[in-house]
Amino acid sequence: MDQAEKIPLLSLEGVYKKFSTDIRSNMVYGIRDLISTPKNYMHLRKREFWALDDINLKLYEGEIAGVVGANGSGKTTLMRIISGIYPANGGKILMAGDKKVTAVFALRAGMQQLFTGRENVYIKGSMYGMSKEEIDAQMTFIEEFSELGDKLDRPFGNYSSGMRARLAYSIALATDPDIFIIDEALAVGDSVFKAKCFDNLKDFVKRPGKGVLFVSNNIKKVMKIATRIMVMDFGKMILQTDDIQEGLLYYVRNCLRHLDDEQIELRLNRVRDYDM
Amino acid sequence: MYFVETEKVSFLKMQKDNTGIDQVSISLKVERPPGLLGSWRKIIHNISRYRFFLRQLVRINMLVGFKKSFIGLLWLFILPVIAVFVWILLQGAGIVDPGKTDIPYPAYVLLSTSIWGFFIEIYRTVSQVLSGNGKIMIMTKFPHEVLVAEKIIVHLIRFAIPLAVNLVALLLFGIKFSWLSLLFPFTLIPLLLLGVSIGLIVALLRVVAVDISSLIDEFMRFLMYLTPIVYAPRVEIGWLSGIVEYNPLTYLIGFSRDILTTGSFYEPQKYLIWTGISILFFIVVVRFFFRVESRMLERLINN
Repeated sequence: MDQAEKIPLLSLEGVYKKFSTDIRSNMVYGIRDLISTPKNYMHLRKREFWALDDINLKLYEGEIAGVVGANGSGKTTLMRIISGIYPANGGKILMAGDKKVTAVFALRAGMQQLFTGRENVYIKGSMYGMSKEEIDAQMTFIEEFSELGDKLDRPFGNYSSGMRARLAYSIALATDPDIFIIDEALAVGDSVFKAKCFDNLKDFVKRPGKGVLFVSNNIKKVMKIATRIMVMDFGKMILQTDDIQEGLLYYVRNCLRHLDDEQIELRLNRVRDYDM
Repeated sequence: MYFVETEKVSFLKMQKDNTGIDQVSISLKVERPPGLLGSWRKIIHNISRYRFFLRQLVRINMLVGFKKSFIGLLWLFILPVIAVFVWILLQGAGIVDPGKTDIPYPAYVLLSTSIWGFFIEIYRTVSQVLSGNGKIMIMTKFPHEVLVAEKIIVHLIRFAIPLAVNLVALLLFGIKFSWLSLLFPFTLIPLLLLGVSIGLIVALLRVVAVDISSLIDEFMRFLMYLTPIVYAPRVEIGWLSGIVEYNPLTYLIGFSRDILTTGSFYEPQKYLIWTGISILFFIVVVRFFFRVESRMLERLINN
């Protein structure tokens, strides 16, 4: 079945999101929007810009879609809208049935420094909507997957960034999401654990009804894991392709577009040396 | 640019028929903003669904301040005991004795400030629900009703402990409780609802109108002096007596105080009117808050 016939797990149609360019207009429009419901969400007021501009995408079962783009291109805004953290100004977000979306944005988010790793499993797990019984049932999995051993009973504040990544990722995985969003969450941590996570992600999407949105600017990682690539720039989705190599080259060239051809080639070679 | 309304839609159900061919039925469920009843049903459903998270939040809030302390939660008892002890000392020294109240003045002020604290603390804590939790709210999707529920539960626990100490102190001051005193906790409900409602409005303003929220904070501090807390309701000071007359807190606090200390009803008619207004205000404000808070949340990020 090719993609035209496949049913997407997630489908975004013409999604828009606007932000203010400065704090003052952010406050002024905030007060206005508070007093009266804005009638025209799609009208761009003075000192506003499209953080997401007509985003159309589909995530299919079995896919790991790598989302790349320069800093500020709208990747995290897009993921937050898909997660339902805040609403879009326009467009449709369609999901195949009641799909569970779990997103990992920051490793420390919601974690309590003075509480142990184990206590944080209950805190973060419940924040994802899990009951005590569900967390209890997943505790062995979290212990084994995170490989934290007796460190799980030490204060989270004493954890290294790698240990935090292990715990945060294991908890998110234990929620058994249908759509798993990983936004730069695997940027830290040791190589052994990262390799384990990547293997796990590849196995994860083999299960029916599962898909991953993998946000990263690490070209090497995206090349190793993504089955499709989406390139964002200034709030627009500028490319979606199954050819990962081509997509990443397009992304890097786009980042360097202010340079002349010779300089681009020079910089591309450096990127190839280090990252590909 | 055309106007496009944001819709969240669930669709597509796949079934296999007996021929083994995938049959795709498409059902569209467009989620529209619910009405008043629907909003409240959703709020209660969300809190019930995330009740384990609510328990975790309450636990964190109660314990986190004492994690590094050796005596831990004992502080919750020690602080009100010290406060009461100071009051008894001051009264013994004759420093505080302005004259006629139905009960000894230190007991009057002790209880009045305690009830005032009940109101102002819930206002303060709820008014910080967005600005104080912005980080986790933008990182993980969960119903924010749980955060407000947590603030209320922690507030009730934190109020109950010093109240118990204060009740002992009131006995020492010679106050005799009646059976009607048992109604005291229930008479505080309108005060709680009013505090939560004002707090929710200020929580929104704290994101987009810092000047107004700061002004309201200052006004709330000043409001204590416009409410019969350190002086008796029968105050005869020109303009102040007028304000006291129209101040809802005069009745909401006075009714609770008198029912506990003298077993009498202070201005029952006005108490009931302000109770009704507080309940209605609460119902409307909570719904309004949860309809607009996500729009305010994204502005918190930009700040």
